Amino acid sequence: MLQAARTTGVNLYTYSEVEDISGFVGNFNVTIRKRARYVTNECNGCGACIDPCPVYGYDEFNEGMNPRKAIYVSFAQAVPAIAQIDMNQCIKCGLCQKACELDAINFDQHDELVTLKVGSVLVATGWDEYEPETGYLGYNIYPNVITELKLERILAPNGPTLGHLFRPSDGKIPKRVLFIQCVGSRDLNKNTYCSSGVCCMIAIKNSKLIKQHYPDTQIDVAYMDIRAAGKDYEEYFTASRKEGIRYIRTNISKLKEDSETHNIKVNIQNTLRESLGMKELEYDLVVLSAAMVPTKGNDKLQKILKLETSQDGFFKEFHSRLNPIDTKIPGIVLAGASQGPKSIAESIVQGRAAASSLSRLMGKEIYRIKLIRATVDKEKCAKCGLCELNCPYDAIQLMDDGAEVNEILCRGCGSCLANCPSEAITLRYYREPQYEKQIDAILEEL
Amino acid sequence: MAGTIRAQYPATIRPVRINCTGRVTPSLLMRAIGKGADGVIVAG
Repeated sequence: MLQAARTTGVNLYTYSEVEDISGFVGNFNVTIRKRARYVTNECNGCGACIDPCPVYGYDEFNEGMNPRKAIYVSFAQAVPAIAQIDMNQCIKCGLCQKACELDAINFDQHDELVTLKVGSVLVATGWDEYEPETGYLGYNIYPNVITELKLERILAPNGPTLGHLFRPSDGKIPKRVLFIQCVGSRDLNKNTYCSSGVCCMIAIKNSKLIKQHYPDTQIDVAYMDIRAAGKDYEEYFTASRKEGIRYIRTNISKLKEDSETHNIKVNIQNTLRESLGMKELEYDLVVLSAAMVPTKGNDKLQKILKLETSQDGFFKEFHSRLNPIDTKIPGIVLAGASQGPKSIAESIVQGRAAASSLSRLMGKEIYRIKLIRATVDKEKCAKCGLCELNCPYDAIQLMDDGAEVNEILCRGCGSCLANCPSEAITLRYYREPQYEKQIDAILEEL
Repeated sequence: MAGTIRAQYPATIRPVRINCTGRVTPSLLMRAIGKGADGVIVAG
C-alpha cells in the first residue's frame, strides 16, 4: 500500500467509496465519495491530537477489543498516515485543534465527490468474516468463544495486548484451546462452499503460533477435512501435528459453559475412532474458524457496476475455469476474494493476471468489437422506448430522432429487437430472415 | 448444453442457436410450428 502511494501515476483514494460508474470500456466515468476525515491533508500523523481527546470508542481494527479515541489513526500502517475523527462520538470540544501544530483539524469538512475518467476497472473488494448468529456454538453468549479474526488480532504484535495471548472472560492465558473448523461454510443451511482451505491454514498457523509462545498449551482442532491443498501446505500441516497439535475429525453441535470458570465444555466424538465414544472435553478458549463471505458493500457495487454474482454472493467471472479474471463486461476485471474465497498467494496470482489482462486491453490504441450489434432503422422507429427498457446493458437510448445503439456497450443479445413493435431493429448477422431460412431448412428434413 | 454434459437426446430434435433467449421473437416460434414442428423449447 505504501509502495502504491509512493509510485507516481497512482492516485490513492482511501476512506472513500465508489458512488457511481457509467460509460464503457476505455471511457468509464467514476464518481468517488471521499468521506470527510475532519482532518486535512496537512496532517503528518504525529498523533499529538490523540492524547488530549477525552472521548473513547472501540477500536474497529482490533475487533473492538481495545479502546481508541474519537480522533485516531485507523491503524499503525494506515496509508496515508492521517488521523480521522469519528463524528458519531466527537463532542467537538476542540482540544485536538489546540494540540495540532499544523492546524490540520477542520470540523466543517464535508464529504467530497470526485469524478474521474478511467479506461478500465479492477475490482478487488476482498472479503468479510462470516459472523455466526448469536448462540450458534455459544458465539456472542459465552465470552470465551471467539472467531478466528479476533484471535488473529490477539496474536498480532500490534494487537490489543501487543501479541500476548489472553482469553476474554478473565484475561488469563488459556491452557487448553479448541479450534472449530468450517463454521458457516460447507454447511447446507449457511454457506455451501468451502472457504478455499484458508480457514484450515489460518487455524494451523495460529495453533502453531500459540504453541511456539506457550509450548505447554494443549491445542485441539475439530475439523471435517483439513484442506491443505497448495505448495508446502501439507508439510506445514504435518509439522504442526509433530509439534503436538491434536486434530480430531468430528462435527460439534453444542457447547456448554461452566458458569463459574467460564470454561467451555464440548461433547466430542472422534468419527475416525468411533470405539472411543462420546467424550466431554473442557477448554479455556474456543476459536470458531468462520467462513469467508463477500464484503458488505458488494450488493451496492454490484448494482453500480452491473456485475453478475455467483450463487455464493461473490462476483461472477467470465468463466469459472477458463477465465476466472475477466467479467462479462469488457474493461472490468476481478482480483482476489471479490471473485471467491482464496488465499494470499492465489490473490496475488489473480491480481497480477487481472492487471496484465487490463494492460493488454489498454495498451492497444484501438478496441476491436464484433459487428454482431443491433442497428436501428430510424425511419421505422416509433420512439416507444421499449428497447431502452429491455436492454440489459443500457446500450440503447431514445433520442429525438429515434433509438440509438451504443455499439461498444451493445453485446448483440437481440432483446431490443424481439421487443420492438415496429420491427425497426435488426441484429447484424442474425437477421430475422436468416433464422426463418434456418428453421425452414431443418424442418424440411423431417 | 446437452452435448457438453453428454446427455442423450432424440435425433428428431433440431437445435437452432440464437444469441440470447431475449432475441427469440414469437414469429420465429410460430413459424417453426407452422412448418410442422411438434413443439419448440426455448432454453438458455
